[in-house]
Amino acid sequence: MTIVIGALQYLGYVLIFPGFLFCFLAGMLLCGIDRKLVAKMQKRVGPPVLQPFYDFFKLCGKETIVPAAAERITFMLAPLVGLAALVVIQLFIPVFGFTAFSGMADIIVILYLLLIPALAIILGGAASGSPYAGVGLSREMVTIISCELPLVLVLLAVAKTVGDAMGTGLCFSLSSIAQYQALNGSLITKISMVPAAVALLLIIPGETGNHPFDAAEAETEICEGMLAEYSGAPLGVFKLSHAVKMLTLTSLFVALFLGGLGTGILPLDVLLMFLLCAVITAVAISFVHAVTARLRIEQIFKYYWTVVSALALISLVLAWYGL
Amino acid sequence: MFKKLIEESTGKSPWLFHINAGSCNGCDIELVSVLTPRYDAERLGFKLAGSPRHADIVVVTGPVTKQSLPRVLRAISQVPEPRCIVTMGSCPQSGNVFRGSYSVAGPLSKYVHVDVDVAGCAPKPEAVIDGLALAAQILKEKRGQMK
Amino acid sequence: MDFPFVKEAISQLFSKSSCAMYPAVPSQAAPGYRGRIVYHADKCIACGMCERVCSGNAITRTVEHLEDGQDRITLTFNLGSCTFCATCADFCTRNAIELTGDYHMVATKEEDLLVTGSFIKAAPKKKAPAAAAPEDCQAAPAVKPRDDGKPVNDPARCVYCTLCAKKCPVQALTVDRAAKTWVLDEDKCIACGTCAQACPKNCIII
Repeated sequence: MTIVIGALQYLGYVLIFPGFLFCFLAGMLLCGIDRKLVAKMQKRVGPPVLQPFYDFFKLCGKETIVPAAAERITFMLAPLVGLAALVVIQLFIPVFGFTAFSGMADIIVILYLLLIPALAIILGGAASGSPYAGVGLSREMVTIISCELPLVLVLLAVAKTVGDAMGTGLCFSLSSIAQYQALNGSLITKISMVPAAVALLLIIPGETGNHPFDAAEAETEICEGMLAEYSGAPLGVFKLSHAVKMLTLTSLFVALFLGGLGTGILPLDVLLMFLLCAVITAVAISFVHAVTARLRIEQIFKYYWTVVSALALISLVLAWYGL
Repeated sequence: MFKKLIEESTGKSPWLFHINAGSCNGCDIELVSVLTPRYDAERLGFKLAGSPRHADIVVVTGPVTKQSLPRVLRAISQVPEPRCIVTMGSCPQSGNVFRGSYSVAGPLSKYVHVDVDVAGCAPKPEAVIDGLALAAQILKEKRGQMK
Repeated sequence: MDFPFVKEAISQLFSKSSCAMYPAVPSQAAPGYRGRIVYHADKCIACGMCERVCSGNAITRTVEHLEDGQDRITLTFNLGSCTFCATCADFCTRNAIELTGDYHMVATKEEDLLVTGSFIKAAPKKKAPAAAAPEDCQAAPAVKPRDDGKPVNDPARCVYCTLCAKKCPVQALTVDRAAKTWVLDEDKCIACGTCAQACPKNCIII
């Protein structure tokens, strides 16, 4: 009997909160907030905040055309694989003390799982058989490689700090990090963690593929890159996974650096986390979108491996010496 | 229930794809000025899509020249249903001053079914917004009649 | 690495947008804007100048003969072929064509873009023999105008400079300087009045 209840509980986690339904609603709302803020900063009115929902349902109603040169199965399944990986990552991220799945090495799992949506979009583009997709996916590969290094350094810095304080060396469990912050205050209040926080803020638009770093999906240059041949419902799922990735990365930032602010009551915690995610979207994604121009792919690579990695490295060194 | 939701959403989020079939660029400039802060078509949900496979409304400018005709038809055929074709300016509607030239293949309505004409040379951005809003309405009706 | 618009981006976040919210807030075209054509059929004389000068070939004229010698003349302006240059309005001697400030020209059917108007052109009247001309007409022209609107020449003042023949758009006049003759081809004449305006001696009455 308890097995059935346990299974239903896990099913609830996966499908409703913090799984599929929560990711859908919160991710799309964040995407809408981002578009609205960018428009306001450009002195326009901008689309309504619910616009990504309209986009998604409209795409579900369009015809799906599979090009003759495409590999059909990979073409149709790639978006679903990407979305599934993102939902699984969201299941690991704590909401101020409540975690759906927690283990000893959450951070390592998240690091590997974060590669899967990007790989899914690369495989989808490769399966579509279009030369534009080929250019787009090679740029996407370079973008992933350039974002991985600073991300690993940031995660190591946080893991070392919390691990030292708890006496276990390196602590890779997100729920432990959340507990530590609930007792000792948010990690961002420690001076040695501030460069890492700034580095993670700069990594977020690169990982999601938002504006200054969207050479992979450049609209006007290469006809939307990897998504060039997608139409209808698979395209809708790709746009959805883009929105959910925004949610995942911002909630990871909240969980790692802003963790000590929880109240203990779950609905309030969820609301607080969503508000913090919106603020981080405004700062890291919308603001950067509104004031920059698109970078070339070699500029993206150079930027991430010099400036952002340097910031993360400072934090790692400070954490290693126990400061 | 989902059908109604999809139908409503189709009217609120039309994505545009712009094809220049030999135009003098006057109409192209008026079209992209519709996306600038002064007229801001994005508040109505319009967005320029990079690929014809992502688009709902195809906006064609320019008298359709013989060289561009097969490419225009190919791009239009790649737009998934339901779709709406809008001709902007008087060139694709009748050829305007270029009618009868050796390189003009004639009005677009000879080759595809055109849903909305926005007349003018070049039409004012407000007239373009009118035309696009009408096209979004027609798109919603087409979605309602599909399957 | 230079970010020029940071201050503007933050300040514009809290200020009003500069969007003219078009369908909700109606917008007027600038004065003198050349928009939809309005055709005043009552002023038209069907001279055909507009048809001749139209750059987009947008104007067509159809003549329908009615029973009692009258004609119904219909002019159709195809806005889908018009380039809104207003040359027709400039050339119209009777100001029957006007380009208004109406810019909403959106149509789903081709017929919605046609502006038409028609008028009835009366047949030329058969007139009775003229009454005796008044005596005191040395200063006044010695000829009376015709009833059908076509020009008539005063041979007393004409110097046969041939300017009227040169200006006539349909070549309806033949003027021979040496032989001092002024002949009007009535079939070709369209009563536009260009010859009367061109004559330096004001000897053509219309």
